[in-house]
Amino acid sequence: MKVETASEPVTSRRRKPVDWFAIVNTTFLIAAAVLCVLPLVHIIALSFSSSAAASAGYVKFWPVEFTLSSYEYTASRDEFWRSLWVSVQRVAIGTPLTLLLITLVSYPLSKESHVFRLRLVYAWIFFLTLLFNGGLIPTYITVKELGLLDSIWALVLPNAVPVFSVVLLLNFFREVPKELEEAAFMDGASYWTTLWKIYVPISKPALATLALFSMVEHWNQWFDGLIFMGSPSNYPLQSYLQTIVIQQNLANLTREELLSLAEISDRTLKSSQIFLGSLPIILAYPFLQKYFVKGIVLGSVKG
Amino acid sequence: MHLMLLPGLIFIIIFAYIPMSGLTIAFQKFIPAKGLFGDQTWIGLDNFRYVFELPSFTQVVWNTLYISSLKLILGLVVPIVFAILLNELRNQLVKRSIQTTIYLPYFLSWVVLGGILIDILSPSRGILNEFIMMLGFEPVFFLGDNKWFPVTLVLSDVWKTFGYGTIIYLAALTGIDPGQYEAATIDGANRWQKAWHITIPGMRMVIVLLAVLSLGQLLNAGFDQVFNLYSPQVYQSGDIVDTFVYRIGLLDAQYGVATAVGFFKSVVSFILISVSYFCAYRFAKYRIF
Amino acid sequence: MKGLTPRRRLIKLSVIVLACTLVLSACSSNNSGTGSTDGNGNSNANSGTPADTANGPMTKYDPPIEISMVRNLSDVVENNVLSVLEGETFEDNRWSRIYEEQLGIKINYDWVVKGNPDSDAYKQKMNVTLASGEIPDFTPVDAIQLKQLVDSELIQDMTQYYDQYASPLLKDILEQEGTAPFDAATYDGKLMAIPETGSNMESGMYLWVRTDWLDNLGLEPPKTMADVRAISKAFTENDPDDNGQDDTYGLVATKDLWGGFGGLEGFMAGFNAYPDIWIEDESGELVYGSIQPEVRDALLALQEMTQNGELDKEFGIKDGAKVSEDIASGKIGMEYGEQWNSIWPLQLNVNNDSDAQWQAFPIVSDLADNTSIKVPLKFRTTKFFAVRNGVENPEAIIKLFNMHVEKNWGETAEFDKYYAPPEAESVWQLSPVQPAPPKKNVEAFRAIAAAREANDFSTLEGEAKTIQEKIDSYESGSEEGFALWGWERIYGPDGSMGIADQYDKNGQYLLDKFVGAPTPTLVERQSTLEKLQNEVFVKIILGDPIETFDKFVEDWNNLGGEQITQEVNEWYEQTK
Repeated sequence: MKVETASEPVTSRRRKPVDWFAIVNTTFLIAAAVLCVLPLVHIIALSFSSSAAASAGYVKFWPVEFTLSSYEYTASRDEFWRSLWVSVQRVAIGTPLTLLLITLVSYPLSKESHVFRLRLVYAWIFFLTLLFNGGLIPTYITVKELGLLDSIWALVLPNAVPVFSVVLLLNFFREVPKELEEAAFMDGASYWTTLWKIYVPISKPALATLALFSMVEHWNQWFDGLIFMGSPSNYPLQSYLQTIVIQQNLANLTREELLSLAEISDRTLKSSQIFLGSLPIILAYPFLQKYFVKGIVLGSVKG
Repeated sequence: MHLMLLPGLIFIIIFAYIPMSGLTIAFQKFIPAKGLFGDQTWIGLDNFRYVFELPSFTQVVWNTLYISSLKLILGLVVPIVFAILLNELRNQLVKRSIQTTIYLPYFLSWVVLGGILIDILSPSRGILNEFIMMLGFEPVFFLGDNKWFPVTLVLSDVWKTFGYGTIIYLAALTGIDPGQYEAATIDGANRWQKAWHITIPGMRMVIVLLAVLSLGQLLNAGFDQVFNLYSPQVYQSGDIVDTFVYRIGLLDAQYGVATAVGFFKSVVSFILISVSYFCAYRFAKYRIF
Repeated sequence: MKGLTPRRRLIKLSVIVLACTLVLSACSSNNSGTGSTDGNGNSNANSGTPADTANGPMTKYDPPIEISMVRNLSDVVENNVLSVLEGETFEDNRWSRIYEEQLGIKINYDWVVKGNPDSDAYKQKMNVTLASGEIPDFTPVDAIQLKQLVDSELIQDMTQYYDQYASPLLKDILEQEGTAPFDAATYDGKLMAIPETGSNMESGMYLWVRTDWLDNLGLEPPKTMADVRAISKAFTENDPDDNGQDDTYGLVATKDLWGGFGGLEGFMAGFNAYPDIWIEDESGELVYGSIQPEVRDALLALQEMTQNGELDKEFGIKDGAKVSEDIASGKIGMEYGEQWNSIWPLQLNVNNDSDAQWQAFPIVSDLADNTSIKVPLKFRTTKFFAVRNGVENPEAIIKLFNMHVEKNWGETAEFDKYYAPPEAESVWQLSPVQPAPPKKNVEAFRAIAAAREANDFSTLEGEAKTIQEKIDSYESGSEEGFALWGWERIYGPDGSMGIADQYDKNGQYLLDKFVGAPTPTLVERQSTLEKLQNEVFVKIILGDPIETFDKFVEDWNNLGGEQITQEVNEWYEQTK
């Protein structure tokens, strides 16, 4: 409801007969959008084409010799579904955990130094980790010593506090009008209450953004899966896909490996798996967009 | 409030600070099989010296700086422009569809895009060059010409990420009070004035923030992209610090050297970020964190 | 808010627990992390049997022992084996069962990585494993990792175990490629790992030519380098596919320059140039092939061909997979590659155009007698099994080797069960150790050729039989058989293996003379020099002045090449 009240005045204020700017602007944006969608169309077209046509590069934006065989094959692969499930779990656990942690961290850090004295020290402690990291070997050893290898936690915990998101969120928190917080304190609310009752609801667009970032990050990460998982059956989807799409070094292939290159990793199959593999995360965005509607902050403040 | 920080702090200490002890590798002739805490040979700054004495390293650093500073600027400007233009769209359905569409390329990996780009950008058969020739110009070998290769990297990267980049600006725009636009309209402000005086200031915080943070990425020119697009023909302009580290570290198994380069990158980022952090504070009275 | 507090507390609690665990275990690894992993002895605790009582090459351990290993899961095994075999998994299958039942060896995998052993993921995983100090009992490593393990004194001397336990059959198989595989694993006279001997011969080069284009233009197969140049020119300029367009190329190259498909080693060999390998000069010293003047001539020829449009001017940015598209769409007339090229990518061409026909020919030169050209070979033994200190039955790995060769090529071989049953032809790859006779493919060809001669295929057995069935299927003209065109091109009457047979009989092979562990300077400079070389070569082929080559030779020497040459020769002295 708030959405409508907020956007109505915006639509009602233009009543010019022909808005040339709007036409040019829309055309330009649509052209840009088309440029962005073409590669995906190409991949989808490949996935529905025969492998002979695909291997020769005949497929552009429309399937050549239409077939569903690559999808049938993909659907029959246990590995594909198993790793898809791992990825879903990873996002389902990782994103809420990350949101919770960064909310908790960002709130104190968004305070001025005279309110929260050690603020700057903490801020730099967090911030430095964005710049310095120990590298693969010590991280692996840490994860291993914690006994997390081969579990979903190895994928979720090491990056549970993305400092980039913390910095963003604390800046969003700062934009929240001080009066709201002061009013809450007057009513005897604690810091905890203020955070949950005022800051979190008002920062929904920011949190939705960070939720999206976190989901995308968890979905796209493939390297940690390969390193921290001791068995391919625990790979998340992108790790699994990586082992398929990666460019093979043709110089060192044995003939048996070649056979599989010829039979299995042909381009139509790869394309169908790439497409299916990115579909869930692509769909997540339109879903989250409802939190991005203009004026929601104001609406809730006034309400 | 200390309590609120605690969980996050513990995570940071375990997964960032403890592994940081591994930076000692930079000062060792590190052999993995001897173990992280094993009997490694300490060689002081030899790894650093070795890298800086390699004839190709200066070139590599320059390439990196050139590519990444262009990416940094365009990567900042293009999403802002698109956010403003999207903000001007009235039809919510069109707006949302365009937003979703321009966000798509972000999800295609460079391995996949590499093959597609070779086709599109081919000087003899590519669509883009057919267009260029239609306009009466000579075809351009985008991926094979040392003049064009960095430009190609920058533009394709901007193309891939700008849609994703606009999201954060759009989130910032939700904070703007629509009443401000109404008031401005009543005052007779035109579209540009409103964009300049309301929309951009509304995003100011995010702009400053991302500008400062991306400065820290100045020595990261994008490993995945370069690795999948470069070739011996364009080593001269396209070899970057990260591909260099890949060859030294993984192919030659010189972990000490690879870690030393990583450490060097961190120090440079640290300096850049600190300087810009204090500049932002001094000149804009704004602490980014 | 009330709902959230306990959750937060829970998380906090678990985090603290984690932190404590970490601190504790970090301490313990500090204590034991000085390189000795004996204390970890996780898997062989129950191997109470002393080595002496289990003294035959294939004697069963009683009670059985457990060993730990690590390995990769290749696409082939995942897609062509495990997905078609009911009731068998990567951990529990016909190979693991026979090792357990007949040898009393139970194999546990510490980890399994999807991909090939030369993939980045596998290397990284191996490196972190080595660094974390807990290496498995038996570790498959490459030459660089083996050197590191030896330097770290983590592994055992295997000399006496190999002598004592290797079966005659195994010794015969592993030693078929001469002493090089063992030299590569020998440090200070001790055999520090068991090499899984690879077939050098498989890296031999052939000239694959589209014979339907030859016929179309009325040309003869190439006998000399001049022929190759003439055919290449004709394929480029005379519209061999009759489509009225100037869209064909005589030859291909890839941005990597070398390799099993589209590699230029074969072309260069026609100039007596042997890039990327170490060869012996007249004085008996080793010299690096890439910096010899013959390479200059070959580059110059390639440059001319590129300027004529016989090579794709865009090859410098295309890898093999990308170039295979040009093959598939019928733009290419010749390519240098290994014997399997007909299966991939040439089959792709035939799938799209059933009139297309390719045939392998021996590489040629301008020498009077073509049988005296040398065919360069890379050293293909890249996997060595190292045994951790403290493992009580180090010979177990040799017993696994023995069993593997016995069940595939020995007296009790069950080819259709353990090597290649029709439904899953790569079943042998389920075994963690895969030693195989290096010449098995050419032997199979010889058997088939003999049977063809005698017109009696009933005598064929094992791999040769399976292959002949493929050829029969192809010749039947069925749709299924059409997909086996590539096999017929390898093992058929004018197959590439026939040429391998000739190469072998004429003694034409020229093996890379340096097979030892990378020398210190090689480790430091290899990738730098390799990058320099490929950059210069690609640019010369694309038109840089040939004098760049002379500059390259100078740079190569100055940037460490000279030092490397010296170190390589020191090694060579030792092994003589």
